[in-house]
Amino acid sequence: MKSAFRTRVFTAVVTATLGLGTFSCQNDLLNVKPNTQLDGGLAFDTPSRVLAQVNGLYSYVKVGSFLGGRYQIYGDIRANDFINRQNNGVTGLLVWNHTLAETSSNDVTSVWGAAYAAINQVNVFLAGLDTNAGKFGASPFPSGYASTVAGYRAEARLLRALCYYSLLQLYARPYIDGNGSRPGLPLRLQAEFGLGNNDLARSTVGQVYDQILLDLNAAEQGLPASQGGNNVIRAHRNTAIALKTRVYLTMGRYSDVITEANKIVPTSAPYVAANGGVANGLNSSITAVFAPPQETTESILSFPFTAQDTPGTQNQLAFYYLPSALGGGGEYSLNTAAGGILANPGFLSTDVRRTSLVAAVGNERFLTKYPTGTPFTDKAPVIRYSEVMLSLAEALVRTNGAADTRALALLNAVRTRSNSTAYTAFTSSSDFIDAILLERRIEFLGEGIRNIDLMRLNATIPGKGSVGDVSPSNPLYVWPIPSTELSANTLMTRN
Amino acid sequence: MRKHLLPLSAIVLVLGARDLHAQTRAVSGVVKGSDGATIPGATVLVKGTSLGTSTNADGRFDIQVPASANTLVISYVGYTSQEARIGDGKLNITLEANSTSLDEAVVVGYGTQSRRELTGSVATVSGKEIANTPVQSFDQALQGRAAGVNITTPNGVLNNPPVIRIRGANSIALSSSPLFVIDGIPTYSGNNSAVGSVPNNPLANIAPEDIDNIEVLKDASATAIYGSRANGGVILVTTKRGKKGQARLSYDAWAGVTRPVRLYEVLGAADYVNLKNEAVRNLNENRRRATGTVGTNIEGFGQVAANAADTRWYDYIYRTGFSNNHNLNFSGGTDKTTYLASVGYSNQKGMLVRNDFRRYSARVNVEHKLFDRLTLGARVNYSNSLNSSPNSGSVGDGAFGTAGLGRLPLVLPPNIAPFNADGTYNTNGAGIGAGPNINPGTGAPLLPGYYNPLVDLENNYFTSESNQIQGALYADLEVVKGLHLRTQYGIDNLNFEDKSYFTSLAGDGFSTGGSASDYYRTNKRWNWQNTAQYDLSAGEHNFSVLGGTEQQYTDVQRWGATRTQVADPFFTTFQGNYLNIAASGNAQGANYLVSFFGRFTYNYARKYLFTATGRRDGYSAWFNKFGNFYGLSAGYVVSEEGFWKNSNFAQAFDFLKFSGSFGTTGNNQGIDDFVSLPLYNSFLYGSSSTFYYTQAANPNIGWEKSKKTDASVAFGFLQSRLTGDATFYYNLVDGLILNVPQAPSRGIPGNSIPANVGSMRNKGFEFNLRYDVLRDKAFNWTVSGNLTTLDNRVLSLLFDGQQIPGSTSGLETANYTTVGRPIGSILAVQNAGINPANGQRMLVKADGTLVQYNHLGTSGAGSTGWTVVSTGANTPAPTQLADGVFYGPVLPTFYGGLDNTFRFKGFDLGIFLQYSGGNYIYNGTKAGLHDQRFWNNATDIKNRWTADNTNAEWPRLVYGDNVSNGSNIIMSQNVEKGDFIRLRNVSLGYTFPSKTISGLKLSNARVYVQVQNAALITKYSGIDPEISVNGGSNLAPGVDRNSIGQARTFTGGLNVSF
Repeated sequence: MKSAFRTRVFTAVVTATLGLGTFSCQNDLLNVKPNTQLDGGLAFDTPSRVLAQVNGLYSYVKVGSFLGGRYQIYGDIRANDFINRQNNGVTGLLVWNHTLAETSSNDVTSVWGAAYAAINQVNVFLAGLDTNAGKFGASPFPSGYASTVAGYRAEARLLRALCYYSLLQLYARPYIDGNGSRPGLPLRLQAEFGLGNNDLARSTVGQVYDQILLDLNAAEQGLPASQGGNNVIRAHRNTAIALKTRVYLTMGRYSDVITEANKIVPTSAPYVAANGGVANGLNSSITAVFAPPQETTESILSFPFTAQDTPGTQNQLAFYYLPSALGGGGEYSLNTAAGGILANPGFLSTDVRRTSLVAAVGNERFLTKYPTGTPFTDKAPVIRYSEVMLSLAEALVRTNGAADTRALALLNAVRTRSNSTAYTAFTSSSDFIDAILLERRIEFLGEGIRNIDLMRLNATIPGKGSVGDVSPSNPLYVWPIPSTELSANTLMTRN
Repeated sequence: MRKHLLPLSAIVLVLGARDLHAQTRAVSGVVKGSDGATIPGATVLVKGTSLGTSTNADGRFDIQVPASANTLVISYVGYTSQEARIGDGKLNITLEANSTSLDEAVVVGYGTQSRRELTGSVATVSGKEIANTPVQSFDQALQGRAAGVNITTPNGVLNNPPVIRIRGANSIALSSSPLFVIDGIPTYSGNNSAVGSVPNNPLANIAPEDIDNIEVLKDASATAIYGSRANGGVILVTTKRGKKGQARLSYDAWAGVTRPVRLYEVLGAADYVNLKNEAVRNLNENRRRATGTVGTNIEGFGQVAANAADTRWYDYIYRTGFSNNHNLNFSGGTDKTTYLASVGYSNQKGMLVRNDFRRYSARVNVEHKLFDRLTLGARVNYSNSLNSSPNSGSVGDGAFGTAGLGRLPLVLPPNIAPFNADGTYNTNGAGIGAGPNINPGTGAPLLPGYYNPLVDLENNYFTSESNQIQGALYADLEVVKGLHLRTQYGIDNLNFEDKSYFTSLAGDGFSTGGSASDYYRTNKRWNWQNTAQYDLSAGEHNFSVLGGTEQQYTDVQRWGATRTQVADPFFTTFQGNYLNIAASGNAQGANYLVSFFGRFTYNYARKYLFTATGRRDGYSAWFNKFGNFYGLSAGYVVSEEGFWKNSNFAQAFDFLKFSGSFGTTGNNQGIDDFVSLPLYNSFLYGSSSTFYYTQAANPNIGWEKSKKTDASVAFGFLQSRLTGDATFYYNLVDGLILNVPQAPSRGIPGNSIPANVGSMRNKGFEFNLRYDVLRDKAFNWTVSGNLTTLDNRVLSLLFDGQQIPGSTSGLETANYTTVGRPIGSILAVQNAGINPANGQRMLVKADGTLVQYNHLGTSGAGSTGWTVVSTGANTPAPTQLADGVFYGPVLPTFYGGLDNTFRFKGFDLGIFLQYSGGNYIYNGTKAGLHDQRFWNNATDIKNRWTADNTNAEWPRLVYGDNVSNGSNIIMSQNVEKGDFIRLRNVSLGYTFPSKTISGLKLSNARVYVQVQNAALITKYSGIDPEISVNGGSNLAPGVDRNSIGQARTFTGGLNVSF
């Protein structure tokens, strides 16, 4: 009997349990949320989150596959100053070889994808600022936050302009080819979230440049004069001005280059901006500019890395250029053969940029501009003051001819800080311009400027080793449009 | 011993007990099986009545029978029923084991059914068939064992999860793998390791020897009870239990050796040097023709004589691995309690150097009848397994890695030595040193850029260790006759510690100055099931109703860190001193499933069968939480009809059943836990924190639904000596979740958004046949085989012309999934062979133009190396998307197994063949083996075009040419058929006669030898036609890229019981 009773009790317990089990469907568990990712609705709720999003935009532009390393590398290795040592398809071999296909994923697809990912982050952020504008007038936002927002907006637009400009240099014909009439890029300016909107035709090169200038002009208006301790890694007013000199130079609008450069380059030495913003200027020593942490006022914009925030495997500038004996990966050595910059008589053996930024290992020569091996924390340079000076010099010569003394002073200022031999005078504009271009090649070796300088003049990309020249008429002169874009965007056209 | 069908025999007993007042005479006896062991629980019925009893734990029975009775019918599931005349003395009855499977109890979701009455499609594999095979996880041993279940071994790395596709690919973006349920609790499967080089399949935590049997649920009727998780089918594993009255200690052990087979023949040093220098000469000739000036490339191979070597890289990478495996179990039972405890140890060494797997396992299964109507039970398994592997390049995304051991022996120049003269590693920076080779273009030493495999093998390590506790406690209460309430609470906690270490000497750790990573992952799951089942028989009407609920919560967390710049090479563990540390591998997820389900089965006289199943599931990842799933099935056992039974052919044709089913199931396996939420992630910009938009939410996303239709016929001939079935299946998967590719210019994170947009169907036939060819006391021969056909078609995608690429390691895209074609078909530009006139590779463009490639040998406007064969005019390079032709399907269209078992006296011989075919493979490895960079080549490259050999297999060699071989463009030259027959397992055993061993107190002793992967017949030119470098990827299946093949394993073992 006892056991029968116990059975009954047990039956009751079990029945109750079953009932409970059936109806205790747990609602909180059915709506479980992540605790490492933020719900999108909360992203604009505090000033620190909005600021973190601004930093997020920079982090997107400086990913290793884009302006955190590879973009600069591709800009140099397309031409003839570097030799591919490792035959590795992942580390730029196809770029170096001019064998890119529209499916080449490490370069053609990834640069495109990284740039547009950054562009959409900008667009989403700008849209979010609009949608959430109502929040910014009240706590926890401080009073006067509207001007902070205006600054953020300007930073975002500057980064968008930088992305579009960078893309144009690889995926579109130069502006000079048809005066901007050739096919440019799909111009994405609205925030993209859900399904749809895949199809968007290419705007012309000129239309994309128009947008870049619209963004940069707006950025110049909205940016703060200084970013305090972050002047190298975040955009301030001079950054917008400096980028405009590059954009106008690329478009061949030399008088505009002069106008912009004049805002930050004084008529004579010392070359330090005196426009009330950051005192960007020409440093007396090129080695100081590239000595970690690479934060002299000559660096107008560079992207930072730390041991926690690294460029990622096979993206690091030092990994590509620094020889393994010095902690790099030695992916590319400097071309010592005829045609390469080291064989150029204009690059004197006493030039500091040669004695201090080039190392010999065996019979090979390596660029040591990026001196830090693992964890590869050298900053990735975007634009330096000396570039604005040389752009200005070139624009002056192209406008005023070989006799322009300011242009000569600018060229010599950059040259003589590393090389004791100053130019005295030039008899022709073309000699003068060749000297400026050579100086740019030497000065910005490994900074990704070479491709820009070749393309903007529609010049042949010189060959090296067994790799031939690529003339502007060659379809390989510009990169193919990635197949991923072509397959998803039915209005997209091939290069 | 077969399983026991509890509900039915219980009913018989109860009915018998009611009529006891008619008794007049006592009869007793003992029932044994043909192996001499007594059979507890056998049914003893008085013929022509419903009077009966069952045997006790010792196989004995006592029964009171009417005076008129003269015959007893003794039956037990798995044995042929026997009649015994009632005489005066005690009856001694020996039942013959019935090798037909018609009466087997089949485990279905939340219960069992007999195969005879089953209307759903369920395949059963007995534990015996897979025990003692040299595998790490039991699923690897299921290859070819069950119709409809296609299992491929994607590579030869130990504990790599096999790719399992039940009736074809069932998803595109989600997992197509089945749900694994261990003793009622869904468990984890697939590769769970955080370290790319070393796979870890948690199913290896179950010792194969502990498995009693495995059921594969395939159609809607069988799977709908698992509702939203059942699109890919369900694999139910039942572990062994103790049996009443048979206290027994068993020991199983095997040991063996593993060796590589079918390695590619690659060039030796002398051939390498000659052919590469020939290629340089040809390049110079090309430059001369194109530019008018002589090419200046140096014939630099083998230039530095001092460093010359002739290295067979395979010798350093492969080995003969020794393995051993032990399992000890102790089991038994009384009327009230059954128990089984087992411990296992497995130590397996693969054919790759330092690829080792080790497992300790322990299991306790007990069941106790607390009261007459209350049964309690527990099943607990603890297991610790450790897998270590060098970087094989065959797992994860490693196909194109510069450290992959599948690839290194193929690309590394044979004239480079692994060591310098002083015994140090031959390295240069991260890579291997140049050896005697000079870069033809620059004159500098030719650095391969690939790693020295010896540095990796001797210094680096990658391990994944898991600890898993898996168990459940259950109680079953029979409230009233036939009504069982059952509750089961289970946990499945699985922890992983995954480690990697890279030396700073060279290789992947060089640029980081040495690094160590450690990841710790916890998977915690609880699962609570409550069911009520009511079985009722009234006359010929048999009903069974099941209702239940299930809740399951799974929490997954992983954290980890990577330390770089080792302070001193002395430190080789994560805990040592390093200069930097960065968080890595952090992940968090949680999901919850709540379900309500029911099943109703009815049969009339075991003749007309009907089953209806329904399930309503709520899942946390969706915005719209709930979905409904159902299955309906019906069967007609014609052979139970009176006209059949009484016909004169009934003896010969004794069983015939028609059945069919229809229903829906769902799939959420592999969906992200937070897929329907818009999310922002946080990281760093320099030293500042960031937030950025990381997930575009699609609130409309929900289950992929599969509509499954089945029609089946099952039959038995010759007293079921010949049994078989044939099934037609049609499986329409609707609402396929696709990561809808977004134009990259939209900048959507990940460039895709998941949405339910596609549909796909799989249809085909399954055949099973089993024939006891010879049933003789001394000689027995059984043949069983299965065959499945598969016709897979993608019916719709986002839009008709959509081509979804499937990439290999993100670097090569051979597969495209399009509407109207099988999933993952290969898109390749058509090869037109070698132009005999000039040795150039010819391809066909979409418009039919025949074009040819001459590396760096063309000039003039539009020079790309490609010219039109007929005119010699420059032409743009053909492209895969514009000019490619589809080759498919990539999944086998037919596959199966054929098992022959012979027994002669004590000897048994098993020959098991597995076959598969109808599919295409993209052999990317072959492209690499004929690449004209410095890479080594397969020996068949000697048949290249030269002026004297114009009818050649391979083009004229031009140094640097990576186009003509297919490295740069996917061409049909490297697309091959994948048909094969594999002699998967041959085993020869000997069971000692009981007389011989009884003196040793042994009840059973068997010794055996076996060969796993004994032979392979295929026209496929690669290492192994089963290779799938992308594992279970739905979009990029059938790609062979630098992976290692399957090993051959010889083992010998013994099984003894006391």
